[in-house]
Amino acid sequence: MKNLIHAELLKLRTTRMIYGLALAALAFAAISAISAISTAGKSGGGPALSTAAGIRNVMSAGLPGGILALVIGILIMAGEFRHNTATSTFLISPHRGRVVGAKFAAAALVGGALALLSSALTLAVALPWLATKHIHVDIFSRNVGVVLLGGIAAMTIYATVGVGVGSLIRNQTAAVAIALAWVLGVENLLVSFAHEIGRWTALGAAAALTNQQANDRLLPMWGGALLFVAYGVAFAAAGTRFTMRRDVS
Amino acid sequence: MKASIQINGLTKRFGNVVAVDNLSFEVAQGSVTGFLGPNGAGKTTTLRMLLGLIEPTAGSSTIAGKPYQELVDPFRHVGAVLESTGFHPGRRARDHLRVLCVAAGLAVTRADEVLDEVGLADVGDRRVKGFSLGMRQRLGLAAALLGEPEVLILDEPANGLDPEGVRWLRSFLRRYADGGRSVLVSSHLLAEIAQTVDHVVIVAKGRLVTQSSLADLADRTRAGVWVRTPQAQALREALAAKGIAAEVQSPETVVALETTTEAVGIAAAGAGVVIFEMTAQHFDLEEFFLDLTTPTANPITQGASR
Repeated sequence: MKNLIHAELLKLRTTRMIYGLALAALAFAAISAISAISTAGKSGGGPALSTAAGIRNVMSAGLPGGILALVIGILIMAGEFRHNTATSTFLISPHRGRVVGAKFAAAALVGGALALLSSALTLAVALPWLATKHIHVDIFSRNVGVVLLGGIAAMTIYATVGVGVGSLIRNQTAAVAIALAWVLGVENLLVSFAHEIGRWTALGAAAALTNQQANDRLLPMWGGALLFVAYGVAFAAAGTRFTMRRDVS
Repeated sequence: MKASIQINGLTKRFGNVVAVDNLSFEVAQGSVTGFLGPNGAGKTTTLRMLLGLIEPTAGSSTIAGKPYQELVDPFRHVGAVLESTGFHPGRRARDHLRVLCVAAGLAVTRADEVLDEVGLADVGDRRVKGFSLGMRQRLGLAAALLGEPEVLILDEPANGLDPEGVRWLRSFLRRYADGGRSVLVSSHLLAEIAQTVDHVVIVAKGRLVTQSSLADLADRTRAGVWVRTPQAQALREALAAKGIAAEVQSPETVVALETTTEAVGIAAAGAGVVIFEMTAQHFDLEEFFLDLTTPTANPITQGASR
């Protein structure tokens, strides 16, 4: 199993795709933090930086970049079928359950690492800038540490959900397009305009988890965490089941 | 002789289409076996079932005595080259092999060793998208060799190879089997592998047509004379008396082997045997193969193959 996880990570490191996506996620985190700070308290911007909500808004600004972890997860799985490498993968390890398990683990590791880097970058942008505005931020407080931890958990789970999506929809392009359209389109609308349903979607759960909009439209943070983990487990189970049974030809 | 591959009644149905129909055959240890049939005969599906990639509708198969999924470290027993497209185009050739080494728990230095074995040592740092079809075939072969397996399975390996590449592949497979290891190689062209194989398994429409050694197959395809006569047994004896081998294939037909219509006619006249019809048959292996695998079978091969 350890060998298989190492092999999955080596697969990622030996193509250029992962570097592009990682750069995009990090750039998104930096730009979002900059934009959140510069527009805070202004019309069209977030709450003022002097408030706890304002700080939370800055800290969680880069979190929609977690969607890129979903894409990475999809590519880890669907890429095997796009390029027919699934054949050699399953020849080396005919126990498909282990292969899929290694992919979930590798996706979680990469998603988690990317989230850590995003959070570090957000802090690197925000802390010095806020200091010049004489706003002191305690990074271990609920408004900073918990928000960032929630974001790291969200990105990690997003990556594993991606692996599940990639095994259910084997056409890589279709899988990415459908997943993005679903999360950014359907779920986004539901969260914004039909929050009774929206709070139960993966995006709603992720938002609750990252405390992005701490309000009664979303589940409480622990509820969001449980729901999002449940999504991750459900996709993992369904993806494993599909991959176990299907013919590779 | 011990069998290194055994296929027992394998069947695969895709909806209403029966791709492989109750197929059974064996591959003997230390032999090169050609798995022949026209395109769409079910060869690839059979090989993928053997390798645990496709679940059979019925039947079973073993390699080194076990189903593929039950082999411990299967790559140490079997190496397979199934298609020339199983590579990420943006990954370097050596990295493709290293990934497989890591997954298999083999030393990554094996990657360089097998690149050398297949003659790709100089291009290991290139990304696969720049590879020709022939180079991809060699890279696939390199991957199959990583675990130093005693059985090699290749699906249409000569596709896309130039004549030089085909020659290289033939000698490679020959050397491989001469070391006591076994090779199962599929092809839709008999001529492509006739110089390499010891045994042939011929399939058409998912069914076994014939399985024999290449020598036996060649015997069956020798030129001969097909005769229709009411005195089949008498004709066979008359021919035998003149030193001409012949087979009675049905109460009314005799096939005289390696002879001419003149010789058969003289022998028949001498013995007073009545002849209704007589045709000279000139075969080569390729024609024989075509006859076996197409629906309108020739009378001689019909008798020989059942």
